[in-house]
Amino acid sequence: MKNTIKVERAKKNWTQADLAKHIGISRQGLNSIETGKFVPSTLLALRMAKVFNTTVEALFQLDDSGM
Amino acid sequence: MKCLLIFVVIKQLYVMERSKKTLNQQSIISALIYGATYLPATWLLKHQVFSQPVSIIIIIVPVIAFAIFIFKYIKAFSAMDEVKQRVQFEAVVIGFSLTAMLMMILFLLGLCGISNSFWFGYGLVVSYCWFFYFIGWLISRRKYGA
Repeated sequence: MKNTIKVERAKKNWTQADLAKHIGISRQGLNSIETGKFVPSTLLALRMAKVFNTTVEALFQLDDSGM
Repeated sequence: MKCLLIFVVIKQLYVMERSKKTLNQQSIISALIYGATYLPATWLLKHQVFSQPVSIIIIIVPVIAFAIFIFKYIKAFSAMDEVKQRVQFEAVVIGFSLTAMLMMILFLLGLCGISNSFWFGYGLVVSYCWFFYFIGWLISRRKYGA
């Protein structure tokens, strides 16, 4: 699963800690999601999309392998 | 009005963060209390001779401390974010699986008459269980980088 969290974060000029605070998770947790080590729940993905004012589909995309 | 709203949201986030930290601290403190009651209870029961009712009271104290720890741990678990929940879940699964495997091996070795109660007594199996939990925790932390 690929994501554009880093790009969206850069647009807002937010650090990982800023975004983590906005969506109510730890900075380390957000780092795991951003680096693709952890796939977030639907709720968290929706919350993230809401703070970036975008859609979940725009934020998260399937890999070429479909994973 | 907008400033007030931002202030309320920030305050709410601060309170939530603080209560999460408090729950985490409470579970760690209750684990330490459990350790502080379990080790002296083990020592007392091993090295001193008490009447049966007194022995049972000594046994009950760490059991109650452990029950409180489990209660606090579950409460802290429900307040964790989902990445931390996954780390804890995997740590518990790895710890439980390895302990179950060790107990199965000890049982089978016991059937053959090959067993060493000094290294693999009930007391030490509890310690191995904690050891396996921490192995699982380290593996999972490394996996998720959390």
